Amino acid sequence: MKREELSAGATPDAIVERVTMGEVQLPGQDRGHGHGGGMESVREATYRGHHIVVRTTYRLEVDGMPVEGHMGVTNDGQVHYHAVPNLSFASAIDLMKQLIDIFPEDFGAGGHTHEHGQGS
Amino acid sequence: MAAERRNILMDETARKNYIQGVTLLKQEFLGPTTADLQLPGPPTPVSTYDLFVVWHHYAMETFTPPTQGDRNAAHRGPVFLPWHRFMLILLELQLQRVLNDADAGLPYWDWAADGEAAPADQPDSAVWNEDCMGGQGSPITTGPFAFDANDPASWRVRVAANVQGQLVQANRGLRRGFGQSVAGLPTQADVAAALDLDEYDRSPWSTQSQGFRNRVEGWRPLAGAPGLHNRVHVWVGGDMLPSSSPNDPVFYLNHCNEDRIWAAWQATFPGSPYLPDQSASAELRGHRIDDDMYSLLTSPVTPRQMLDPSDFYSYDDLQVS
Repeated sequence: MKREELSAGATPDAIVERVTMGEVQLPGQDRGHGHGGGMESVREATYRGHHIVVRTTYRLEVDGMPVEGHMGVTNDGQVHYHAVPNLSFASAIDLMKQLIDIFPEDFGAGGHTHEHGQGS
Repeated sequence: MAAERRNILMDETARKNYIQGVTLLKQEFLGPTTADLQLPGPPTPVSTYDLFVVWHHYAMETFTPPTQGDRNAAHRGPVFLPWHRFMLILLELQLQRVLNDADAGLPYWDWAADGEAAPADQPDSAVWNEDCMGGQGSPITTGPFAFDANDPASWRVRVAANVQGQLVQANRGLRRGFGQSVAGLPTQADVAAALDLDEYDRSPWSTQSQGFRNRVEGWRPLAGAPGLHNRVHVWVGGDMLPSSSPNDPVFYLNHCNEDRIWAAWQATFPGSPYLPDQSASAELRGHRIDDDMYSLLTSPVTPRQMLDPSDFYSYDDLQVS
């Protein structure tokens, strides 16, 4: 690609026009796949001519507060959450612990003094 | 003349230009507001620098295709490398404009060189010095992006992703926490292993793919994940973790180095094409070689248009491992 092909559309005026005139489709900021009903992860695979579908519904909470961002599970079982895009987890509990560390102001001070179990 | 991208620890001019340029873009308000970008709260002007933060977040929120929740318009699929090359070129054009220097190039951080040090010593790298990116903290208190609540000109995070994955308005300092979730940075051996892969990408075109793209992005090998790109985000921590990670100027140093690694790979395997080609399933729309890539700030370009960036820039050194 030649520089002039891109630079003409990258001037301040061109950028402002594109952003303020609604020329770009913005993804909605509604959260999750379930909107209070939980987040559904769908895994699909084909094996010996058979089509496999695994649907898993997660309802995540911290101190009773729903956590409703986009969450998914890959076919190899790794849990991922869109708000922390560079990480995947073997356990949804590990994911939630990481969210508490990364977004402290969204959770406030914790009230429990001992740690409950492990696992996914 | 095209810009030359240089090692931020080896070139004082490149380092100073970058710091000055991003500071100017952070303070430049051309007119767009949070309302134009559908962010909640009262309409607030958004700086040119912050438009790139919004763009990155929305690309990540655009699933490709929307019926699945893994691959998105900029990550977790083949388009990862050309999309970020596009983003970096657009930022570089803005830096050149505010610096009034058409040859100013983005610098890169050769994090694999720092990854050769013992993990305990990695926070002492010169990249975190006061005259470079500054150090860690919540907020960071040293360097050009240190936060001073009483100084409106100091570096402020104004838009950030929250735990629900929404982009919301903020007013706080930049956060970093080195090595809190991974012990060390990627090493030169990690980079060399990626350069051994002669295929750009392959089915299932996702985080589970074997191939160069997924290795550089950092999802494979699973035992070493997070690797390369992902590992740098995670090691720096703080604001480098959420989808609003371009809030930290280190974001561009990281991606510039990944782009350099891709350039080195392209030079090593000139016969290996970008994949998938345009005959692939429509399920891969946004990732095929002639598909439009998601763009907030300019008309879209395609991965094919990003394969040869020589009219925009070159690297001073393609010895990446």
